[in-house]
Amino acid sequence: MSALVKKNSLGMAHVILGLSIAVLVIVVAVPVLLIFLNAFWAEGKFNITDVIAVLREPETYQALLNSLIIASGTTLGSTAVGTFFAWLVTRTDLPFKKFMRGMFLVPFMLPSFIGALAWKMLLSPRAGYINRFFMDAFGLDGPIFNIYSYLGIVAVEVMYLFPFVFIQVCGALERMDPTLEESARISGAGLFTITRKITIPLVLPSILSGALLIMLYSMAHFGTVAVLGIENGIYNIPTLIYERIHQSAGSFASIRTGTVLASVLVVSAAFIIWLQGKVLGRGRYQIIAGKSFRPVELKLRALRWPLLGFCLLYIGFTIVLPTAVIFLVGGLKTYGLPFAPENLSLVNYRFILFEYQVTKDAILNSVTLGLAAAFITMFAGVMISYVIVKMRVRGKGILEFLGMLPFSVPGSVIALGVILAWSGKYGVNLYNTVWIILVAYIARYMAFSLKANSAALEQVHDSLMEAARACGASMWQTLRDIVLPLVRPGMLAAFFLIFLPSLRELTVSIMLYAPTTRTIGVAIYTLNEDGETVVSAALAGIALLLIITGQTIINRVSAKYQG
Amino acid sequence: MRIRFAALILATVFFSGLACDAAAEQSLIVYTSMKESLIGRLRDGFAKKHSDIKMDYQSAGAGKLMAKIAAEGESGKILADVLWTSEVPDFYDMKQKGKLEKYVSPVTGDSAFLNPFADYDGHFAAARLGTLGIAYNTRFIKTAPKAWQDLFGAAYKNAFGIANPALSGTAYMSVALLGKQFGWEFFEKLAANKARIGKGSGQVIDDTAAGELVASLAVDYIANDKISKGATMALAYPPEMLIAPSPVAIIKGTPNLDAAQKFVDYLLSREAQTIIAEEGTLPVRNDVAIPQKFGLPKPDEALKRSIKINYLEMMAQKEATVKKFVDILQKK
Repeated sequence: MSALVKKNSLGMAHVILGLSIAVLVIVVAVPVLLIFLNAFWAEGKFNITDVIAVLREPETYQALLNSLIIASGTTLGSTAVGTFFAWLVTRTDLPFKKFMRGMFLVPFMLPSFIGALAWKMLLSPRAGYINRFFMDAFGLDGPIFNIYSYLGIVAVEVMYLFPFVFIQVCGALERMDPTLEESARISGAGLFTITRKITIPLVLPSILSGALLIMLYSMAHFGTVAVLGIENGIYNIPTLIYERIHQSAGSFASIRTGTVLASVLVVSAAFIIWLQGKVLGRGRYQIIAGKSFRPVELKLRALRWPLLGFCLLYIGFTIVLPTAVIFLVGGLKTYGLPFAPENLSLVNYRFILFEYQVTKDAILNSVTLGLAAAFITMFAGVMISYVIVKMRVRGKGILEFLGMLPFSVPGSVIALGVILAWSGKYGVNLYNTVWIILVAYIARYMAFSLKANSAALEQVHDSLMEAARACGASMWQTLRDIVLPLVRPGMLAAFFLIFLPSLRELTVSIMLYAPTTRTIGVAIYTLNEDGETVVSAALAGIALLLIITGQTIINRVSAKYQG
Repeated sequence: MRIRFAALILATVFFSGLACDAAAEQSLIVYTSMKESLIGRLRDGFAKKHSDIKMDYQSAGAGKLMAKIAAEGESGKILADVLWTSEVPDFYDMKQKGKLEKYVSPVTGDSAFLNPFADYDGHFAAARLGTLGIAYNTRFIKTAPKAWQDLFGAAYKNAFGIANPALSGTAYMSVALLGKQFGWEFFEKLAANKARIGKGSGQVIDDTAAGELVASLAVDYIANDKISKGATMALAYPPEMLIAPSPVAIIKGTPNLDAAQKFVDYLLSREAQTIIAEEGTLPVRNDVAIPQKFGLPKPDEALKRSIKINYLEMMAQKEATVKKFVDILQKK
């Protein structure tokens, strides 16, 4: 990089632009393009009949339908739950509001497929601990709830995804100018009218944007459906892609089906993103200003304590109970034994940490992959965001378009795309190595980095850089001494936004793993599939500890930065 | 400047960390469908004997391993040096396509060595005689099943499981064997009793131990491993025995031929076969003692009691058999 210092700034600008475009093209655009090519292009010509034929197969059609059903259910459920709790902690006099607000963010830390594993242990029809308790205690014939169902899958996804809506709505409700509501009240409107005519229209964009995020996530989500659905023949798009490619020896037909399904995912995701832009872009919602008035709190009166109880119960039921089950089952000698002291030990934990090569590899792989992906993506993200936000170069439009891509490409699509791009057909063969997972992670998490870094860059006023340039600093010096120090918090945020999720990544790595390149997520999933329930639970427990530790460190660090 | 420098150092560290997999000594990768409890002990035993060979393995379902090998073949480099699964048809198929290296291990000449393959020619040898029995949860089933037909009884209603034959080699073998002996009628009666298809061969056993199923068609050593850890389970063998030989073969063109041959020799040796017997599955040698608690007959006796099948025919019918089985059990 230092060789570039001596060049004039126009040259440098173009180098940076070219580099940025190259990164996005290679990492994101080519894989996606290859998927479309493979789906719509057969034997050298455009071929739509095959695509329709694939989509009309009962199994693929059913998987598409399932993805839609599960995603819609999850979106509706999470929106209701998220909005309700957001309202509760911002606009009412609920006791311990601050604490509860923190608690509602905890589900974010729990990977949903680990949640799914826990709920399988609690609510599988005959052996689930809760079902068994009720069947034994009340002599019931059947289970009270069967988790291997659409309702079960949706419920589990709602539990771990609702914070998307919760965060958005909390923010909107807090930033909303309360004078609007007050003037309505002064003019004689009742609470119901105010809520209907003022509050809801004002926070609706935030609700919708959170809801669409969840829709996007759930449609392309692998883990929960893989753990809870396959048992009863419920497949969604990612699980069907996985199943097809793994079972038919990577044959052309299966890759074809995969690419067609992946194309459907990309198109729907793009539609959702477009819709989100549309919803958020409407000018009249700008009325939510940055001023922090204290909104009027609704007096819950007699409901205050019962509602707090309800919130605590909800947290206990969705967070504490599943986590406890994971750790307890991880301590059992073998699955199915009662939780008695003589059956519990730390043997499984010792086994996976010190003896079992597969899990030792997995932990090491996930940590190194996470760090490497976070580093590379953080720096690439700064560079690309800088061009998009700050530079005025011709050809920036292409980059802006490319920069949107990572946001709309779901994980399983990226996995399939990198298989097509990097398995030797085009000269480079990374298949079966750790590098292919790294490339996929970079593509998958580029969106996070772009978001965090452009937000940070937008706050750096142009005048600072102009001042530096006016004093005779070169462009490089300006970047180094002014811009980078100012965006460091954004970079740091990007780093952790990538590192933590990649520790528990499953959707991408399950499609790409090889003998020595299992990640933590893959190891947990395959151990569970192999019937090593207790070992897989123990590893899930270790993963949770890693994630919680990581999150605590982040909170410390970011608190230091802000304070 | 400082940030850039630190990043450079860190990046270098990570990259070298990622790249340092390649070791100097001989290496060997075994793809196997055997679970950790079995292959782990064998790896340790092999490492003790040949400390100059770094052996690594991938343990996964036979179907997944074949998919991996096919994908690797497509990209030009097969990572596996040795394949050891329980899906016999795969081995015939690979032999036909010239993907297996011929190697007649000197151990196969021992008088105690048993060979279940009449057409043995060195492309693959059985390294274990896997048996499948009925694993039942003793909390729910008090009297051990004596015949396969017991599974039609009310005690097993809605709660007997067979692993998905599309995912598990042993499950396919057992479906083919039971089908040959008793006809499709056997599965129709199972379906009438609402038998279920599980995922992998390990998962149906764990589900049995947990009580999600009361019984399942179970691979011997996986069930015995859980029983030894205290699962309330037992394993019963009806008179018609299901034996699934697990062949071991060397992949053609392996750069680690010497190490691969040493591994095959070791696997068929008395030493390794003793480990196999101790894990509760049948060895391929008659000179190995099988612990009493497993209730297993001697290997030659078991072979006599077993249902015989023509593996080549079985291979040709795999897709149709799996489909028909799934259709019957899911009542399509």
